[in-house]
Amino acid sequence: MSVPVTQSTTAQPSEPRQYLTFTLGGEMFAVETLSVKEIIEYGQITAVPMMPPSIRGVINLRGAVVPVIDLKARFGAQPTEVTRRTCIVIIELGSGDEHQVIGIVVDTVSEVLEIPQSEIEPPPAFGARIRADFISGMGKIAGRFVILLEMGRVLSVDELATLSSLAERSEPSALAA
Amino acid sequence: MAKTILIVDDSASLRQVVSIALKGAGYDVIEACDGVDGLSKLDGRKIHLIISDVNMPNMDGITFVKESKQKPAYKFTPVIMLTTEAGDAKKQAGQAAGAKAWVVKPFQPAQMLSAVSKLILP
Amino acid sequence: MTINLDDALHTFIAESRELLQQMEEALLDMESQPNDPETINAIFRAAHTIKGSAGLFGLDHIVAFTHVAESVLDRVRNNEIKLDEALGALLLKAGDHMGQLIELLARHETPDEATTAAGEALVASLETYLETAPSHAVSVIDEARHDLSVASGVANPNWHVSLRFGPDVLRQGMDPVSILRYLSTLGEITAIHAVTDAVPMLAEIDPEACYLGFELALASLAAPAEIDGAFDFVRDDCLIHLIAPHAPLADYRQMIGALSKDPDMRQVLLALGSLNADEIARLDAPEETAETNAGQPEAGAEVVETTGKESKTAETSLIRVDAAKLDQLINLVGELIIAGAGASMVARNLKVPSLIEATTLVSRLVEDVRDSALTLRMVQIGATFNRFRRVVRDVAKEIGKDIELDIRGGDTELDKTVVEKIGDPLTHIVRNSMDHGIEPADVRLAAGKPATGQLRLNAFHESGSIVIEVSDDGGGLKKDRILKKAIERGLVSENQTLSDKEIFNLVFEPGFSTAEQVSKLSGRGVGMDVVKRNIMALRGTVDIESVEGVGTTVRIRLPLTLAIIDGFMVGVGTASYVLPLDMVVECIELPPSSSGHEPTPNYLNLRGGVLPFIRLREQFEVSAPAPARENVVVVQYAGQRAGLVVDRLMGEFQTVIKPLGKVFSQVRGIGGSTILGSGEVALILDIPGLVKQVTTPNQSALGVGQEQAASIKE
Repeated sequence: MSVPVTQSTTAQPSEPRQYLTFTLGGEMFAVETLSVKEIIEYGQITAVPMMPPSIRGVINLRGAVVPVIDLKARFGAQPTEVTRRTCIVIIELGSGDEHQVIGIVVDTVSEVLEIPQSEIEPPPAFGARIRADFISGMGKIAGRFVILLEMGRVLSVDELATLSSLAERSEPSALAA
Repeated sequence: MAKTILIVDDSASLRQVVSIALKGAGYDVIEACDGVDGLSKLDGRKIHLIISDVNMPNMDGITFVKESKQKPAYKFTPVIMLTTEAGDAKKQAGQAAGAKAWVVKPFQPAQMLSAVSKLILP
Repeated sequence: MTINLDDALHTFIAESRELLQQMEEALLDMESQPNDPETINAIFRAAHTIKGSAGLFGLDHIVAFTHVAESVLDRVRNNEIKLDEALGALLLKAGDHMGQLIELLARHETPDEATTAAGEALVASLETYLETAPSHAVSVIDEARHDLSVASGVANPNWHVSLRFGPDVLRQGMDPVSILRYLSTLGEITAIHAVTDAVPMLAEIDPEACYLGFELALASLAAPAEIDGAFDFVRDDCLIHLIAPHAPLADYRQMIGALSKDPDMRQVLLALGSLNADEIARLDAPEETAETNAGQPEAGAEVVETTGKESKTAETSLIRVDAAKLDQLINLVGELIIAGAGASMVARNLKVPSLIEATTLVSRLVEDVRDSALTLRMVQIGATFNRFRRVVRDVAKEIGKDIELDIRGGDTELDKTVVEKIGDPLTHIVRNSMDHGIEPADVRLAAGKPATGQLRLNAFHESGSIVIEVSDDGGGLKKDRILKKAIERGLVSENQTLSDKEIFNLVFEPGFSTAEQVSKLSGRGVGMDVVKRNIMALRGTVDIESVEGVGTTVRIRLPLTLAIIDGFMVGVGTASYVLPLDMVVECIELPPSSSGHEPTPNYLNLRGGVLPFIRLREQFEVSAPAPARENVVVVQYAGQRAGLVVDRLMGEFQTVIKPLGKVFSQVRGIGGSTILGSGEVALILDIPGLVKQVTTPNQSALGVGQEQAASIKE
């Protein structure tokens, strides 16, 4: 399964932006389609040992080795359980030297929606189950709130790299036991 | 059809600049990096003018011009030698080889265009 | 004329760097074989080419500086002065200065005051070699002459041009028509008369000879020098008279005198309108003869320079390719290998013989393509080695030692990326040898050695690796002192017995270099530990051989390429891992005593020696139970041995390395990844990192790390 995602051109701030919505642990999230490269079926992931649960492993994306992040674990919950509908959304961030391609594991991919700026509320000061800086806003869709994710923060490479090295350091003690 | 100029010089940047200038003026340009390479370009195709450096590795400009004059197809092709004012008085060697025109290095692209246009117009 | 020269400027910068490098090498050659004409010519040519190209870009400061150096070199070339040591040193500095100017240009900066002052000082020094040089006479066309005489001039407002072409102009490629065409770009030819008197009878005509002449009137506002310039290339072989508007009648008189063979010149001049009837009549009056002193402008003083000699430098049929394009090609070939392996696997599963045969052939060809593609990235190490000639020369002078550099194996090829990254570690090792290895002359003489120290750089291929050696015939490493220092610093314990090699390798340990050891040369904040780390980052190894009093050899072993790895695949749980094959020594079965469920020490007895091992299953937290029989892969790196306990041994294979990206940049123990024929990603283990990870919590890793590694677990 490979769902091509139409890339919208740079939208004006006032114009409605396109979002890809997906579910994760029963909750609905959305990312801007601008940063979504493609959606692939969950398959052959190579686990990288000594990693925290949020770093699921790496996959072969047409010859490129791409890290895959478990978004649920990243948000502090239990790792995602793989079902037939589990997908990997390939996100593209940054440009030039900072360019990164990272996959995120989601329960189901729902649809691509346009959300006008007027329908987007600022993130709540508290109350959301995930870190405030991960949220770029709250989108209203048919009376329901959708968490619009700030992917630059969620997939901060520096933070992920630090996480991976921290996990590694706790290893030897486990071994020595 | 545009007239074709062969430029023989061991400096790639010099060839590049001269070539840009000549092409801009409406000439076709072929490049060669030394005398040996230059001779290999004299393969029967029509060349209206040769611009050649003197001091080059593998085969110097004087030898190159002498050899080129041995080829019937290029016997009458005018040659501009790129000379230096610091060079010793060996102009005769160049003349004897058949290179009557010269441009003194260092030169500006416009000077080269002017020299070329004295021999052939695009 | 505005043309975009950015691209060309890049070419110029790259070319100049290369030429300056060649110039430096040639200058250093001169020290050993002075006055070799070909070498001198190569030095001259480098300066000459840079000057010539710099002029095209209007880089006047580079032209001006290089011109002085070139003039000095020209005198050397003409045997007017000798290239002695002092001049050699000065020219090296001049080369450095040119290099600085080029680097500034590359950074779009202009020289600051200090650089300019340094340049001026060098110019002053260089000019002392020029003082006795004969000045090159340059004749200037006397343009003023025409202006002065306007008052008494003829009525004609046009230029009069009289041309008699020499018989050889056609053979020289000079077409008379071209000259007329060029003149008409400067103005308008208002009248022309062809002089055909010299054309012989048809039977006598030489078809290659020119017999023509022209008289013409040119209406032009161009400067006199510009009009005169039209005849630059034919001046020597032609009779040219160029008479300015309103020139004195005497100029015409002189011309007619010179062309006495043409009897009807007066009529022609009248017909062209150059002279009127009155002026023709006055031609024969004698009053103005005093003015007829100036002759034709001299032929240009430009000289054709030649050497008449052929150089033997081979640089034909080379093309420059952007390194990124090569990388892309190699990446694609890597993809092709992986795709090919995938196809082969499908073929084997389908068990169709003809398909298996076809995919086998494709795979073999793809491997050939890969090998050729990789050779494209291979460069000779000679250029890197040659750079040390300057380093050794300068450092030897600085520390007052007499040291000779012997370079061998310069034509050994290795991957461009490796070459680029090996320069710094190599510099450090070389400086270290010169500084600490080779003794001062008096010590050497006292030890019965020649006063001149020997430093040797050598490179050769050995079983799929390249070996680079830096050897000196100095005092060698003092084992007891190294050991003492290592004990002082807590790097080893007092009761440890170490082999010579282990002791020597202690100098690569972090924190071994000490303040009193650090001289101004080697101690620039970089220790031998950094050297080792840099080499290991290239998947290389470094070790030392030394005999006290005789000398030291530092041996670096590097893979030929960084893009491909000969791997050995093992399985742990469901995952496959790749080990660099060159680190694998042997594989043994894990003895049952150590594979029980009770915690057992993580070392085993390997033919009487202690082999510490790491259980990858534990290290990687694999939850699946271990199989009944486990295997130990014995690996060796940097002179140490360790075991890796794995479930399955899956054999050797060659594979393309894929970097893991920034997310995993801080992970130790995993060096990269590769894609298997099945499309699955397999991780490449970083063995030194893995061992370090096991040993790190208690103590920094050591040259004798395995003992510690074992003791930690007890």
